[in-house]
Amino acid sequence: MSLAAGSPRLGRRLAIAWTALVAAMLAAPIAVTVGGAFLRFDWYGQRSEGAPVQGVAAPFAYVLELWRHNLLRSLEIVAVVVPLALLLGAPAAYAFRRRPFPGSRWVEAAAVAPLAIPGIALAVALIEVAGGAPRFALLAAGHLVYTVPLVVKTVGNALAGHDPLLEAAARTLGAGRLAIVRRLVLPLLAPSLVLSALLVFAVSWGEFNVSFLLATPRVQTFPAALYLTYTTNSFPVAAAATVVFLLPVVPAVAAIQALGGEQLERGPQP
Amino acid sequence: MLFLVALVLWPFAHLVAAAAKGGGGAWRTVLAAGRYRNALVNSLVLSAAAASAAVLLSLVPAWVLARERFPGRRLLRAVMALPLSFSGVLVGFLMVVMLGRIGAVTELLRWLTGRALLSGAAYTATGLFAAYLYFEVPRAVLTLEAAFRRFPPELDAAARTLGAGTRDRLLRVRLPLLAPALRSSLALTFSASMGSFGVALILARRFTVAPVEIYTELTGFLNDAVAGALCLLLALATLAVDRLLAADGRGRGGVADASARARTPHGRRAPGRGAAR
Repeated sequence: MSLAAGSPRLGRRLAIAWTALVAAMLAAPIAVTVGGAFLRFDWYGQRSEGAPVQGVAAPFAYVLELWRHNLLRSLEIVAVVVPLALLLGAPAAYAFRRRPFPGSRWVEAAAVAPLAIPGIALAVALIEVAGGAPRFALLAAGHLVYTVPLVVKTVGNALAGHDPLLEAAARTLGAGRLAIVRRLVLPLLAPSLVLSALLVFAVSWGEFNVSFLLATPRVQTFPAALYLTYTTNSFPVAAAATVVFLLPVVPAVAAIQALGGEQLERGPQP
Repeated sequence: MLFLVALVLWPFAHLVAAAAKGGGGAWRTVLAAGRYRNALVNSLVLSAAAASAAVLLSLVPAWVLARERFPGRRLLRAVMALPLSFSGVLVGFLMVVMLGRIGAVTELLRWLTGRALLSGAAYTATGLFAAYLYFEVPRAVLTLEAAFRRFPPELDAAARTLGAGTRDRLLRVRLPLLAPALRSSLALTFSASMGSFGVALILARRFTVAPVEIYTELTGFLNDAVAGALCLLLALATLAVDRLLAADGRGRGGVADASARARTPHGRRAPGRGAAR
Protein backbone atom coordinates (compact mmCIF):
# COMPACT_ATOMS: atom_id res chain seq x y z
CA MET A 1 0.00 0.00 0.00
CA SER A 2 2.70 2.44 0.98
CA LEU A 3 4.60 1.47 -2.14
CA ALA A 4 1.55 2.09 -4.31
CA ALA A 5 1.09 5.51 -2.74
CA GLY A 6 4.76 6.36 -2.53
CA SER A 7 6.15 5.23 -5.86
CA PRO A 8 4.31 7.76 -8.07
CA ARG A 9 5.69 10.57 -5.94
CA LEU A 10 9.18 9.12 -6.05
CA GLY A 11 8.76 8.61 -9.78
CA ARG A 12 7.65 12.21 -10.14
CA ARG A 13 10.70 13.45 -8.24
CA LEU A 14 13.00 11.29 -10.33
CA ALA A 15 11.38 12.53 -13.52
CA ILE A 16 11.80 16.16 -12.49
CA ALA A 17 15.41 15.48 -11.48
CA TRP A 18 16.07 13.89 -14.87
CA THR A 19 14.55 16.91 -16.60
CA ALA A 20 16.73 19.25 -14.55
CA LEU A 21 19.78 17.15 -15.38
CA VAL A 22 19.09 17.32 -19.12
CA ALA A 23 18.56 21.08 -18.87
CA ALA A 24 21.82 21.42 -16.92
CA MET A 25 23.70 19.49 -19.59
CA LEU A 26 22.30 21.87 -22.20
CA ALA A 27 23.13 24.94 -20.13
CA ALA A 28 26.64 23.97 -19.01
CA PRO A 29 28.49 24.70 -22.27
CA ILE A 30 26.76 28.08 -22.58
CA ALA A 31 27.68 28.94 -19.00
CA VAL A 32 31.34 28.02 -19.56
CA THR A 33 31.50 30.01 -22.80
CA VAL A 34 29.72 33.13 -21.55
CA GLY A 35 31.77 32.99 -18.35
CA GLY A 36 34.90 32.70 -20.45
CA ALA A 37 34.03 35.89 -22.30
CA PHE A 38 34.26 37.83 -19.06
CA LEU A 39 37.42 36.25 -17.67
CA ARG A 40 40.38 38.47 -18.23
CA PHE A 41 43.14 35.96 -17.83
CA ASP A 42 44.20 33.73 -20.67
CA TRP A 43 43.23 30.22 -19.68
CA TYR A 44 42.71 28.72 -23.06
CA GLY A 45 46.07 28.24 -24.76
CA GLN A 46 48.09 30.59 -26.89
CA ARG A 47 46.58 33.91 -27.81
CA SER A 48 46.90 34.71 -31.48
CA GLU A 49 46.15 38.40 -31.14
CA GLY A 50 49.48 39.46 -29.60
CA ALA A 51 48.91 41.95 -26.80
CA PRO A 52 47.34 40.61 -23.60
CA VAL A 53 43.65 41.34 -23.21
CA GLN A 54 43.08 44.51 -21.18
CA GLY A 55 39.84 44.78 -19.24
CA VAL A 56 36.52 43.02 -19.48
CA ALA A 57 35.34 44.99 -22.51
CA ALA A 58 38.48 44.41 -24.59
CA PRO A 59 37.42 41.15 -26.32
CA PHE A 60 34.06 42.71 -27.16
CA ALA A 61 35.63 45.83 -28.62
CA TYR A 62 37.95 43.61 -30.66
CA VAL A 63 35.05 41.48 -31.95
CA LEU A 64 32.96 44.51 -32.89
CA GLU A 65 35.88 46.07 -34.72
CA LEU A 66 36.88 42.85 -36.48
CA TRP A 67 33.39 41.71 -37.57
CA ARG A 68 31.56 45.00 -37.94
CA HIS A 69 30.81 44.36 -41.61
CA ASN A 70 29.44 40.88 -40.92
CA LEU A 71 27.19 42.25 -38.19
CA LEU A 72 25.87 44.96 -40.49
CA ARG A 73 25.31 42.42 -43.27
CA SER A 74 23.37 40.15 -40.93
CA LEU A 75 21.23 43.07 -39.78
CA GLU A 76 20.53 43.99 -43.42
CA ILE A 77 19.57 40.41 -44.26
CA VAL A 78 17.22 40.24 -41.29
CA ALA A 79 15.71 43.60 -42.21
CA VAL A 80 14.96 42.32 -45.71
CA VAL A 81 13.97 38.74 -44.90
CA VAL A 82 11.55 39.35 -42.00
CA PRO A 83 9.11 41.61 -43.90
CA LEU A 84 9.44 39.63 -47.15
CA ALA A 85 8.74 36.32 -45.41
CA LEU A 86 5.63 37.80 -43.78
CA LEU A 87 4.45 39.31 -47.07
CA LEU A 88 4.90 36.01 -48.91
CA GLY A 89 3.78 33.64 -46.16
CA ALA A 90 0.77 35.28 -44.51
CA PRO A 91 -1.37 35.73 -47.68
CA ALA A 92 -0.45 32.19 -48.74
CA ALA A 93 -1.58 30.81 -45.37
CA TYR A 94 -4.83 32.75 -45.74
CA ALA A 95 -5.39 31.32 -49.20
CA PHE A 96 -4.71 27.75 -48.02
CA ARG A 97 -7.12 28.05 -45.07
CA ARG A 98 -9.90 30.28 -46.37
CA ARG A 99 -9.83 29.99 -50.18
CA PRO A 100 -8.64 26.45 -50.89
CA PHE A 101 -8.31 25.78 -54.61
CA PRO A 102 -7.93 22.42 -56.40
CA GLY A 103 -4.49 21.13 -55.52
CA SER A 104 -3.86 23.72 -52.79
CA ARG A 105 -3.03 20.95 -50.31
CA TRP A 106 -0.28 19.84 -52.68
CA VAL A 107 1.08 23.35 -53.04
CA GLU A 108 1.01 23.73 -49.23
CA ALA A 109 2.89 20.45 -48.75
CA ALA A 110 5.41 21.42 -51.44
CA ALA A 111 5.95 24.82 -49.83
CA VAL A 112 6.77 23.26 -46.46
CA ALA A 113 8.87 20.35 -47.80
CA PRO A 114 12.06 22.44 -48.32
CA LEU A 115 12.42 22.54 -44.53
CA ALA A 116 13.72 18.95 -44.75
CA ILE A 117 16.28 19.75 -47.45
CA PRO A 118 19.88 20.16 -46.25
CA GLY A 119 20.87 23.81 -46.48
CA ILE A 120 24.19 23.01 -48.12
CA ALA A 121 22.36 21.21 -50.96
CA LEU A 122 20.14 24.23 -51.51
CA ALA A 123 23.18 26.53 -51.47
CA VAL A 124 24.95 24.43 -54.13
CA ALA A 125 21.77 24.38 -56.22
CA LEU A 126 21.39 28.15 -55.96
CA ILE A 127 24.99 28.65 -57.07
CA GLU A 128 24.46 26.29 -60.02
CA VAL A 129 21.40 28.14 -61.22
CA ALA A 130 22.26 31.76 -60.46
CA GLY A 131 25.90 32.00 -59.44
CA GLY A 132 26.16 35.34 -61.24
CA ALA A 133 23.25 37.00 -59.44
CA PRO A 134 23.97 39.55 -56.70
CA ARG A 135 25.01 37.56 -53.66
CA PHE A 136 22.86 39.54 -51.30
CA ALA A 137 19.77 38.55 -53.32
CA LEU A 138 20.85 34.90 -53.36
CA LEU A 139 21.37 34.95 -49.60
CA ALA A 140 17.95 36.49 -49.04
CA ALA A 141 16.39 33.87 -51.34
CA GLY A 142 18.05 31.06 -49.38
CA HIS A 143 16.82 32.50 -46.10
CA LEU A 144 13.28 32.85 -47.50
CA VAL A 145 13.15 29.16 -48.41
CA TYR A 146 13.65 28.27 -44.74
CA THR A 147 11.55 31.01 -43.19
CA VAL A 148 8.40 31.38 -45.33
CA PRO A 149 7.18 27.86 -44.40
CA LEU A 150 7.34 28.86 -40.73
CA VAL A 151 5.10 31.86 -41.42
CA VAL A 152 2.70 29.70 -43.44
CA LYS A 153 2.41 27.21 -40.58
CA THR A 154 2.17 29.76 -37.74
CA VAL A 155 -0.41 31.96 -39.47
CA GLY A 156 -2.24 28.88 -40.79
CA ASN A 157 -2.55 27.47 -37.26
CA ALA A 158 -3.89 30.82 -36.01
CA LEU A 159 -6.43 30.97 -38.84
CA ALA A 160 -7.56 27.43 -38.07
CA GLY A 161 -8.39 28.62 -34.55
CA HIS A 162 -10.68 31.44 -35.73
CA ASP A 163 -14.21 30.94 -36.99
CA PRO A 164 -14.42 31.68 -40.74
CA LEU A 165 -18.04 32.70 -40.20
CA LEU A 166 -16.78 35.94 -38.63
CA GLU A 167 -15.65 37.09 -42.05
CA ALA A 168 -18.93 36.00 -43.60
CA ALA A 169 -20.78 37.98 -40.92
CA ALA A 170 -18.70 41.06 -41.64
CA ARG A 171 -19.44 40.68 -45.33
CA THR A 172 -23.16 40.39 -44.66
CA LEU A 173 -22.97 43.56 -42.59
CA GLY A 174 -21.62 45.35 -45.63
CA ALA A 175 -17.88 45.42 -45.00
CA GLY A 176 -15.77 45.58 -48.13
CA ARG A 177 -12.85 43.26 -48.77
CA LEU A 178 -10.30 45.84 -47.63
CA ALA A 179 -12.24 46.63 -44.48
CA ILE A 180 -12.48 42.94 -43.60
CA VAL A 181 -8.75 42.50 -43.95
CA ARG A 182 -7.88 45.68 -42.10
CA ARG A 183 -10.42 45.62 -39.28
CA LEU A 184 -11.02 41.90 -38.77
CA VAL A 185 -8.35 39.57 -40.18
CA LEU A 186 -5.25 41.60 -39.34
CA PRO A 187 -6.22 42.31 -35.70
CA LEU A 188 -7.13 38.64 -35.20
CA LEU A 189 -3.85 37.51 -36.71
CA ALA A 190 -1.67 40.14 -35.02
CA PRO A 191 -0.26 37.79 -32.32
CA SER A 192 0.60 35.12 -34.89
CA LEU A 193 2.21 37.73 -37.15
CA VAL A 194 4.39 38.95 -34.28
CA LEU A 195 5.28 35.35 -33.46
CA SER A 196 6.11 34.70 -37.13
CA ALA A 197 8.35 37.75 -37.27
CA LEU A 198 10.24 36.59 -34.17
CA LEU A 199 10.64 33.07 -35.58
CA VAL A 200 11.87 34.36 -38.93
CA PHE A 201 14.30 36.62 -37.10
CA ALA A 202 15.66 33.77 -34.96
CA VAL A 203 16.14 31.49 -37.96
CA SER A 204 17.59 34.13 -40.24
CA TRP A 205 19.97 35.48 -37.58
CA GLY A 206 21.46 32.03 -36.96
CA GLU A 207 21.41 30.71 -40.54
CA PHE A 208 24.83 29.38 -41.52
CA ASN A 209 24.46 26.39 -43.85
CA VAL A 210 23.14 28.31 -46.85
CA SER A 211 24.91 31.58 -46.10
CA PHE A 212 28.42 30.26 -45.67
CA LEU A 213 28.75 28.70 -49.12
CA LEU A 214 27.09 31.71 -50.76
CA ALA A 215 29.24 34.19 -48.86
CA THR A 216 31.75 36.40 -50.63
CA PRO A 217 34.39 38.46 -48.84
CA ARG A 218 32.07 41.46 -49.05
CA VAL A 219 28.77 39.73 -48.29
CA GLN A 220 29.24 37.61 -45.17
CA THR A 221 26.77 37.12 -42.35
CA PHE A 222 27.65 37.12 -38.67
CA PRO A 223 27.50 33.31 -38.28
CA ALA A 224 30.16 33.12 -41.00
CA ALA A 225 32.23 35.44 -38.82
CA LEU A 226 31.59 33.05 -35.92
CA TYR A 227 33.08 30.23 -37.98
CA LEU A 228 36.17 32.29 -38.79
CA THR A 229 36.62 33.44 -35.23
CA TYR A 230 36.16 29.91 -33.85
CA THR A 231 38.83 28.56 -36.16
CA THR A 232 41.37 31.40 -35.88
CA ASN A 233 40.92 33.48 -32.72
CA SER A 234 41.64 32.70 -29.07
CA PHE A 235 39.03 31.58 -26.59
CA PRO A 236 38.17 34.95 -24.98
CA VAL A 237 37.59 36.50 -28.41
CA ALA A 238 35.54 33.51 -29.64
CA ALA A 239 33.51 33.58 -26.43
CA ALA A 240 32.90 37.32 -26.78
CA ALA A 241 31.72 36.80 -30.38
CA THR A 242 29.35 34.11 -29.10
CA VAL A 243 27.90 36.55 -26.56
CA VAL A 244 27.40 39.13 -29.33
CA PHE A 245 25.55 36.47 -31.36
CA LEU A 246 23.36 35.50 -28.39
CA LEU A 247 22.43 39.05 -27.33
CA PRO A 248 19.49 39.58 -29.72
CA VAL A 249 18.49 35.91 -29.82
CA VAL A 250 17.90 35.33 -26.10
CA PRO A 251 15.13 37.97 -25.80
CA ALA A 252 13.64 36.70 -29.07
CA VAL A 253 13.49 33.13 -27.74
CA ALA A 254 11.98 34.38 -24.46
CA ALA A 255 9.31 36.28 -26.39
CA ILE A 256 8.59 33.27 -28.61
CA GLN A 257 8.17 31.13 -25.50
CA ALA A 258 5.85 33.71 -23.95
CA LEU A 259 3.70 33.63 -27.09
CA GLY A 260 3.60 29.82 -26.88
CA GLY A 261 5.57 29.31 -30.07
CA GLU A 262 5.81 25.59 -30.69
CA GLN A 263 7.21 26.35 -34.14
CA LEU A 264 10.56 27.14 -32.54
CA GLU A 265 11.15 23.39 -32.63
CA ARG A 266 12.77 24.21 -35.94
CA GLY A 267 15.46 26.78 -35.33
CA PRO A 268 18.14 27.54 -37.89
CA GLN A 269 19.38 24.30 -39.46
CA PRO A 270 22.37 23.33 -37.29
CA MET B 1 3.76 30.43 -52.93
CA LEU B 2 4.38 28.99 -56.37
CA PHE B 3 7.29 31.38 -56.49
CA LEU B 4 8.76 29.73 -53.43
CA VAL B 5 8.27 26.24 -54.85
CA ALA B 6 10.02 27.40 -58.01
CA LEU B 7 12.81 28.82 -55.87
CA VAL B 8 13.57 25.24 -54.79
CA LEU B 9 12.58 23.15 -57.80
CA TRP B 10 14.35 25.18 -60.46
CA PRO B 11 17.77 25.15 -58.74
CA PHE B 12 17.43 21.44 -58.06
CA ALA B 13 16.67 20.79 -61.73
CA HIS B 14 19.99 22.47 -62.50
CA LEU B 15 21.61 20.31 -59.87
CA VAL B 16 20.40 17.20 -61.69
CA ALA B 17 21.88 18.60 -64.90
CA ALA B 18 25.19 19.38 -63.18
CA ALA B 19 25.40 15.90 -61.69
CA ALA B 20 24.72 14.33 -65.10
CA LYS B 21 27.65 16.15 -66.72
CA GLY B 22 30.16 13.79 -68.35
CA GLY B 23 27.70 10.96 -68.92
CA GLY B 24 26.86 10.19 -65.31
CA GLY B 25 30.44 9.51 -64.26
CA ALA B 26 29.83 11.54 -61.09
CA TRP B 27 27.12 9.13 -59.98
CA ARG B 28 29.46 6.15 -60.42
CA THR B 29 32.18 7.95 -58.45
CA VAL B 30 29.85 8.79 -55.59
CA LEU B 31 28.18 5.40 -55.34
CA ALA B 32 31.38 3.35 -55.69
CA ALA B 33 33.04 2.27 -52.46
CA GLY B 34 35.20 5.07 -51.11
CA ARG B 35 35.18 8.45 -49.45
CA TYR B 36 31.86 9.72 -50.79
CA ARG B 37 29.85 6.62 -50.04
CA ASN B 38 31.45 6.44 -46.59
CA ALA B 39 30.45 10.03 -45.89
CA LEU B 40 26.87 9.34 -46.92
CA VAL B 41 26.69 6.17 -44.82
CA ASN B 42 28.27 8.03 -41.89
CA SER B 43 25.63 10.75 -42.17
CA LEU B 44 22.79 8.24 -42.31
CA VAL B 45 24.00 6.07 -39.42
CA LEU B 46 25.00 8.92 -37.15
CA SER B 47 21.78 10.84 -37.80
CA ALA B 48 19.61 7.78 -37.20
CA ALA B 49 21.46 6.86 -34.00
CA ALA B 50 21.44 10.41 -32.63
CA ALA B 51 17.78 10.96 -33.52
CA SER B 52 16.69 7.76 -31.74
CA ALA B 53 18.83 8.54 -28.69
CA ALA B 54 17.55 12.11 -28.54
CA VAL B 55 13.90 11.05 -28.69
CA LEU B 56 14.47 8.46 -25.95
CA LEU B 57 16.26 11.00 -23.74
CA SER B 58 13.48 13.55 -24.32
CA LEU B 59 10.48 11.41 -23.41
CA VAL B 60 10.61 12.04 -19.67
CA PRO B 61 11.52 15.77 -19.82
CA ALA B 62 8.74 16.36 -22.37
CA TRP B 63 6.23 14.59 -20.15
CA VAL B 64 7.38 16.51 -17.07
CA LEU B 65 7.18 19.90 -18.83
CA ALA B 66 3.76 19.09 -20.27
CA ARG B 67 2.10 17.52 -17.23
CA GLU B 68 3.81 18.46 -13.98
CA ARG B 69 3.61 21.77 -12.14
CA PHE B 70 6.58 22.61 -9.92
CA PRO B 71 8.70 25.65 -9.07
CA GLY B 72 11.30 26.34 -11.74
CA ARG B 73 9.34 24.71 -14.56
CA ARG B 74 9.37 27.83 -16.73
CA LEU B 75 13.11 28.22 -16.24
CA LEU B 76 13.75 24.60 -17.26
CA ARG B 77 11.57 25.08 -20.32
CA ALA B 78 13.42 28.26 -21.31
CA VAL B 79 16.78 26.52 -20.90
CA MET B 80 15.54 23.65 -23.07
CA ALA B 81 14.36 26.04 -25.78
CA LEU B 82 17.38 28.33 -25.95
CA PRO B 83 19.69 25.99 -27.97
CA LEU B 84 17.06 25.90 -30.73
CA SER B 85 18.19 29.32 -31.85
CA PHE B 86 21.86 28.36 -32.05
CA SER B 87 23.73 28.35 -35.31
CA GLY B 88 25.42 25.03 -36.12
CA VAL B 89 28.92 26.49 -35.80
CA LEU B 90 28.02 27.67 -32.31
CA VAL B 91 27.00 24.15 -31.28
CA GLY B 92 30.27 22.84 -32.71
CA PHE B 93 32.21 25.43 -30.75
CA LEU B 94 30.38 24.53 -27.53
CA MET B 95 31.48 20.92 -28.04
CA VAL B 96 35.09 22.05 -28.47
CA VAL B 97 34.75 24.11 -25.28
CA MET B 98 33.54 21.04 -23.38
CA LEU B 99 35.32 18.13 -25.07
CA GLY B 100 38.19 19.70 -26.97
CA ARG B 101 41.84 19.01 -26.32
CA ILE B 102 41.65 21.42 -23.35
CA GLY B 103 37.90 21.29 -22.83
CA ALA B 104 36.05 21.96 -19.59
CA VAL B 105 34.94 18.33 -19.21
CA THR B 106 38.35 17.09 -20.28
CA GLU B 107 40.12 19.25 -17.70
CA LEU B 108 37.65 18.24 -15.00
CA LEU B 109 38.30 14.57 -15.74
CA ARG B 110 42.06 15.18 -15.72
CA TRP B 111 41.74 16.85 -12.33
CA LEU B 112 39.54 14.05 -10.96
CA THR B 113 41.37 11.04 -12.36
CA GLY B 114 44.80 12.38 -13.24
CA ARG B 115 44.52 10.99 -16.75
CA ALA B 116 43.70 12.61 -20.08
CA LEU B 117 40.27 11.09 -20.63
CA LEU B 118 38.14 12.21 -23.59
CA SER B 119 40.81 14.70 -24.63
CA GLY B 120 40.00 15.85 -28.14
CA ALA B 121 36.85 13.72 -28.20
CA ALA B 122 35.05 16.67 -29.79
CA TYR B 123 36.78 15.93 -33.09
CA THR B 124 35.76 12.27 -33.25
CA ALA B 125 32.47 10.53 -33.97
CA THR B 126 31.75 10.78 -30.22
CA GLY B 127 31.95 14.56 -30.31
CA LEU B 128 29.76 14.74 -33.38
CA PHE B 129 27.23 12.44 -31.71
CA ALA B 130 27.23 14.62 -28.58
CA ALA B 131 26.78 17.75 -30.71
CA TYR B 132 23.88 16.16 -32.61
CA LEU B 133 22.26 15.26 -29.29
CA TYR B 134 22.78 18.84 -28.13
CA PHE B 135 20.70 20.33 -30.91
CA GLU B 136 18.26 17.42 -31.22
CA VAL B 137 17.14 17.05 -27.59
CA PRO B 138 15.53 20.53 -27.47
CA ARG B 139 13.77 19.85 -30.77
CA ALA B 140 12.47 16.49 -29.56
CA VAL B 141 11.43 17.88 -26.17
CA LEU B 142 9.40 20.70 -27.69
CA THR B 143 7.66 18.47 -30.26
CA LEU B 144 6.82 15.77 -27.73
CA GLU B 145 5.78 18.26 -25.06
CA ALA B 146 3.17 19.74 -27.39
CA ALA B 147 1.82 16.24 -28.08
CA PHE B 148 1.81 15.22 -24.41
CA ARG B 149 -0.03 18.37 -23.41
CA ARG B 150 -2.88 17.40 -25.73
CA PHE B 151 -2.85 13.76 -24.71
CA PRO B 152 -6.40 12.91 -23.62
CA PRO B 153 -6.13 11.41 -20.10
CA GLU B 154 -9.83 10.40 -20.25
CA LEU B 155 -8.98 7.63 -22.70
CA ASP B 156 -6.33 6.25 -20.38
CA ALA B 157 -8.75 6.42 -17.46
CA ALA B 158 -11.46 4.75 -19.53
CA ALA B 159 -9.11 1.90 -20.40
CA ARG B 160 -8.31 1.50 -16.72
CA THR B 161 -12.01 1.40 -15.86
CA LEU B 162 -12.44 -1.31 -18.47
CA GLY B 163 -9.80 -3.37 -16.67
CA ALA B 164 -6.69 -2.76 -18.78
CA GLY B 165 -3.44 -3.26 -16.90
CA THR B 166 -0.39 -0.97 -17.05
CA ARG B 167 1.16 -2.92 -19.91
CA ASP B 168 -2.03 -3.13 -21.90
CA ARG B 169 -2.67 0.59 -21.50
CA LEU B 170 0.89 1.39 -22.60
CA LEU B 171 0.77 -0.83 -25.67
CA ARG B 172 -2.83 -0.33 -26.77
CA VAL B 173 -3.73 3.19 -25.63
CA ARG B 174 -0.71 5.36 -25.01
CA LEU B 175 1.63 4.17 -27.76
CA PRO B 176 -0.95 4.27 -30.57
CA LEU B 177 -2.02 7.75 -29.43
CA LEU B 178 1.53 9.05 -29.21
CA ALA B 179 3.01 7.18 -32.16
CA PRO B 180 2.42 10.03 -34.63
CA ALA B 181 4.19 12.50 -32.33
CA LEU B 182 7.07 10.06 -31.82
CA ARG B 183 7.40 9.58 -35.56
CA SER B 184 7.29 13.28 -36.34
CA SER B 185 9.84 14.11 -33.66
CA LEU B 186 12.11 11.40 -35.12
CA ALA B 187 11.63 12.87 -38.58
CA LEU B 188 12.42 16.37 -37.30
CA THR B 189 15.58 15.40 -35.44
CA PHE B 190 16.76 13.11 -38.25
CA SER B 191 16.42 15.74 -40.94
CA ALA B 192 18.09 18.35 -38.73
CA SER B 193 21.10 16.02 -38.34
CA MET B 194 21.28 15.08 -42.02
CA GLY B 195 21.39 18.75 -42.98
CA SER B 196 23.77 19.71 -40.20
CA PHE B 197 26.72 21.41 -41.85
CA GLY B 198 27.92 24.05 -39.40
CA VAL B 199 28.47 21.58 -36.55
CA ALA B 200 30.40 19.16 -38.76
CA LEU B 201 32.46 21.92 -40.33
CA ILE B 202 33.89 22.70 -36.89
CA LEU B 203 34.13 19.12 -35.59
CA ALA B 204 34.73 16.79 -38.55
CA ARG B 205 38.45 16.09 -38.40
CA ARG B 206 38.77 12.33 -38.06
CA PHE B 207 35.21 11.55 -39.00
CA THR B 208 33.50 12.97 -42.05
CA VAL B 209 29.84 13.44 -42.99
CA ALA B 210 28.19 14.20 -46.31
CA PRO B 211 27.63 17.99 -45.94
CA VAL B 212 31.35 18.53 -45.26
CA GLU B 213 32.31 16.37 -48.27
CA ILE B 214 30.00 18.46 -50.47
CA TYR B 215 31.67 21.61 -49.23
CA THR B 216 35.24 20.41 -49.79
CA GLU B 217 34.31 18.97 -53.18
CA LEU B 218 32.92 22.28 -54.35
CA THR B 219 35.39 24.73 -52.79
CA GLY B 220 38.51 22.56 -52.80
CA PHE B 221 38.25 20.65 -56.06
CA LEU B 222 35.66 22.75 -57.98
CA ASN B 223 34.01 19.44 -58.86
CA ASP B 224 30.40 20.49 -59.14
CA ALA B 225 29.30 17.25 -60.80
CA VAL B 226 30.29 15.13 -57.78
CA ALA B 227 29.08 17.82 -55.35
CA GLY B 228 25.76 17.93 -57.19
CA ALA B 229 25.35 14.16 -57.09
CA LEU B 230 26.15 14.15 -53.35
CA CYS B 231 23.69 16.99 -52.74
CA LEU B 232 20.91 15.15 -54.55
CA LEU B 233 21.56 11.90 -52.71
CA LEU B 234 21.65 13.67 -49.35
CA ALA B 235 18.43 15.59 -50.06
CA LEU B 236 16.70 12.49 -51.43
CA ALA B 237 17.71 10.33 -48.46
CA THR B 238 16.50 12.99 -46.02
CA LEU B 239 13.18 13.50 -47.78
CA ALA B 240 12.68 9.73 -48.19
CA VAL B 241 13.16 9.02 -44.47
CA ASP B 242 10.96 11.99 -43.65
CA ARG B 243 8.15 10.68 -45.87
CA LEU B 244 8.64 7.12 -44.60
CA LEU B 245 8.17 8.26 -41.00
CA ALA B 246 5.21 10.30 -42.14
CA ALA B 247 3.56 7.37 -43.90
CA ASP B 248 0.56 6.63 -41.71
CA GLY B 249 -1.93 5.87 -44.44
CA ARG B 250 -3.10 9.45 -44.73
CA GLY B 251 -0.04 10.91 -46.35
CA ARG B 252 0.39 13.46 -43.59
CA GLY B 253 3.05 13.95 -40.96
CA GLY B 254 6.82 14.14 -41.11
CA VAL B 255 8.79 17.31 -40.71
CA ALA B 256 6.28 19.33 -42.63
CA ASP B 257 3.55 18.37 -40.23
CA ALA B 258 5.36 18.02 -36.92
CA SER B 259 3.62 20.90 -35.24
CA ALA B 260 0.28 20.65 -37.02
CA ARG B 261 0.08 17.09 -35.74
CA ALA B 262 1.15 18.09 -32.27
CA ARG B 263 -1.67 20.60 -32.23
CA THR B 264 -4.38 18.16 -33.19
CA PRO B 265 -3.93 14.64 -31.89
CA HIS B 266 -6.42 11.92 -32.66
CA GLY B 267 -10.01 12.66 -32.01
CA ARG B 268 -9.52 16.37 -31.41
CA ARG B 269 -9.61 18.83 -34.20
CA ALA B 270 -8.90 22.48 -33.75
CA PRO B 271 -12.10 24.45 -34.24
CA GLY B 272 -12.79 25.34 -37.84
CA ARG B 273 -10.72 22.53 -39.27
CA GLY B 274 -13.21 19.70 -39.32
CA ALA B 275 -15.04 20.99 -42.37
CA ALA B 276 -11.86 21.38 -44.39
CA ARG B 277 -11.10 17.69 -44.15
